Amino acid sequence: MDVSQYLEIFLDETNEHLQNLNTQILSLEQDPENMDTINEIFRAAHSLKGMAGTMGYKRMQTLTHDMENVFSEVRNGNIKVKADMIDVLFQCLDALEEYNTNIRESSDEGTNDNGALIKRLNDIMSGGAGDSAAQAGQEQAPQAKAVEAAAPEGFAGIKLNESQQSVLNEALKQGKGVYGLTVKVQESCILKAARAFLVFKAIEDTSEIIVSDPSSQDIEDEKFEQHFSLIIVSEAELDEVLTAARAVSEIEDVSGGVLSAEDVGTAVTEESHAAETEEPVAETAPVQTPAETPAAPPAEAAQTPAPAPAAKKAPVNKPVVNRTVRVDIEKLDTLMNLVSELIIAKNSLVSASAMSGNSSQAVNEQIEYLESVTTSLHESVMKVRMVPIESTVNKFPRMVRDLQKKLGKKMELYMSGEETELDRTVVDQIGDPLMHLLRNSADHGLESAEVRKERGKPEVGSIFLDAYQDGNNVVIEVRDDGNGIDTKAVKNKAIERGVITPEQGEAMSEKEIIDLLFNAGFSTAKVVSDVSGRGVGLDVVKSMIESLSGEVEVKSKLGEGSTWTIRLPLTLAIIQALMVEIGEEKYAIALGSIQTIEDILPSDVKLVQAKEVIQLRDLVIPLIRLNEILDIPSRKDPEENLVVVVVKKGDKLAGLVVDELIGQQEIVIKSLGKYISKCKIISGATVLGDGEVALILDANSLI
Amino acid sequence: MNEVEELRPVGETTQFIVIKLGDEQYGIDIKYIDNIVRMQHITRVPKVDDYLKGVINLRGEVIPVMSIRIKMGLERDVETKSSRIIILKLEQQGTIGVIVDEVREVVTLENDRIEKVAYDSKDEKANFLCGVGKSDGGLISLLDLNAVVLESV
Repeated sequence: MDVSQYLEIFLDETNEHLQNLNTQILSLEQDPENMDTINEIFRAAHSLKGMAGTMGYKRMQTLTHDMENVFSEVRNGNIKVKADMIDVLFQCLDALEEYNTNIRESSDEGTNDNGALIKRLNDIMSGGAGDSAAQAGQEQAPQAKAVEAAAPEGFAGIKLNESQQSVLNEALKQGKGVYGLTVKVQESCILKAARAFLVFKAIEDTSEIIVSDPSSQDIEDEKFEQHFSLIIVSEAELDEVLTAARAVSEIEDVSGGVLSAEDVGTAVTEESHAAETEEPVAETAPVQTPAETPAAPPAEAAQTPAPAPAAKKAPVNKPVVNRTVRVDIEKLDTLMNLVSELIIAKNSLVSASAMSGNSSQAVNEQIEYLESVTTSLHESVMKVRMVPIESTVNKFPRMVRDLQKKLGKKMELYMSGEETELDRTVVDQIGDPLMHLLRNSADHGLESAEVRKERGKPEVGSIFLDAYQDGNNVVIEVRDDGNGIDTKAVKNKAIERGVITPEQGEAMSEKEIIDLLFNAGFSTAKVVSDVSGRGVGLDVVKSMIESLSGEVEVKSKLGEGSTWTIRLPLTLAIIQALMVEIGEEKYAIALGSIQTIEDILPSDVKLVQAKEVIQLRDLVIPLIRLNEILDIPSRKDPEENLVVVVVKKGDKLAGLVVDELIGQQEIVIKSLGKYISKCKIISGATVLGDGEVALILDANSLI
Repeated sequence: MNEVEELRPVGETTQFIVIKLGDEQYGIDIKYIDNIVRMQHITRVPKVDDYLKGVINLRGEVIPVMSIRIKMGLERDVETKSSRIIILKLEQQGTIGVIVDEVREVVTLENDRIEKVAYDSKDEKANFLCGVGKSDGGLISLLDLNAVVLESV
């Protein structure tokens, strides 16, 4: 079977299951008795096993199989969850992750058998079973017997409700045959649900399925072992139906029997008058095909076990799943591009109608309508691309747990706002910087338990990860209640490393010193650990976030902790911008970075340290003459008032001097491509309504 | 690109678009050409190398445009009616436009009529060539596009 076309889905789903397992096992560590968690873990491990088997990844299947066995024992109450077991399970997850990575890279799972892990899993199994055998023995024994007895009984064990009963009785009256079938799927069968489906289909050609046990939903979800039973109404002979069902491959056996009116009737009375079922059950026996399970079991056994399988199935909670469609991100990108094109077309329509001069009201109205449609379309497409940051931050609790063991510090991670949404591409890339900041907090920020005790802090350090939306930005904060940044140590280190001179160090403010941390080749940890790198950390964090058009800031108080704030734009592709003119050229400035627009008299421009500044409501703002920076001759008379666009970066302001304002416009950001990457002050380009290209000024790099 | 003979088996043919820069004819391998468009307004990009003329809008895509003349050390381009921008699609640099004085024709050259040029470090222009083709219309210098668009250090 060629499975390569399913590889993507397999990888995606495996990731989801692994993430789920990680989360669940973590919560199991906190609450080892929680049956819901255990069930959830069992289900995830089971699905993983099934998927790996289907795709032919034997090693992965073996490992998950053994994990599943352990959980199955836990679920049955034979093993208690212990700390070392959790450790082994986490190692298993890591091993699975490794398989997954191998598969992603080479579509081969690799050759690591993880024999040691499997052995430890088996040890847990046998050890656990020994422990609890005695206590479980009593209750186990009768149950096991009951299940055994129930198995061969097959369709005769199906309970009918009243409506089903009346349907069957009706069919009998019409002279149709009512049959019971028990289907046994081969043990080696991988896609049990698919086989079951084929059986259903084969039977439905000639018959109508009235009842199935387990329910058809459970069969679809593969929630059955090897058997399932059906009661059908058919105009065909029993043998015909049986042959059809047996023709499906990987079906070991199908057995069946004709049900009489009595059987149908008593099926319900069974509940009230258990004893009466004796005969009808026996009656079905002679019709059963030779290859069938041994003749009907003693009727006595049949009464009690019948409800047992049903009762066992009932507590399996069906997880609530949103109805979703998996869409290739490339298709979304295409859609996004088309929307961009539409907006450009709309913009040209606007400028064309303004140019022609004879714009009638009707045309204007239609354009306005078009504008509102394109804006909502754009918003919807953006929303489709938005995903909660949950998928990225969910791996952090596990990471912090590992760090705790590795660093020998006590710490706890508190997360909030996991549901905050960001563009998919941003969410994919924000993981690494966040991981770095968290490790940084854990390694450098938090003190050891002893030091914390001395300082009167709780022994367990806290790390907070908070995400929330703020206007057109999403803010993610990483906060710890650790030591904070020791500016003196940073300064000394910087001088030692030759990043700054001692004189420069004297003149620097605390904030400037903290910013030194983002310098390449800087690590203040006295001992280099494998947790927070070798000083390649923070500068990488900064550049990664800046490549997403975001910014990162630190606030810190010595002895009380630090807060790292990451600010990211909601969208990357389409923004509101202010169009300005400088000389003959048009430029766009993102509206998000603009604070105010001012009209300044030339005489109000003052010189401070040979640099032009203006004073605005008690703030001194440096002026940047864009025509000089962009090498364009200004068209304006120096005597005229200056048009100053005040832009903001973090808490720094700057005034950009432009010749003229054109207006606000929705623009589509296009990359200039890597061929023109030298120009740092231009962050991209956009196509204007008249088809011309305007460049987008990056206010951040100007300040 | 320098190993012309090895890349193009003898007996097979290669098609070139013949362009003019000043008085000389140059050939561009047709497989790299995406499109040829008329001269249009080029938006200048500040703070980049001289030969990068700016960017244009080609069906909604923003594409950088460079001047081969400036890159090869010839006189600056003079825009005329026959000036064109040839849009190239290269593996490494992506899509890029080059300005030429004129686009003349398409020629098909048998590979044994293409000769490798001797490398001469003194002649700056030769650094941008990968061969010379003999056609009925005279000699055609074949441009080594990777060298032409390579960012100067």
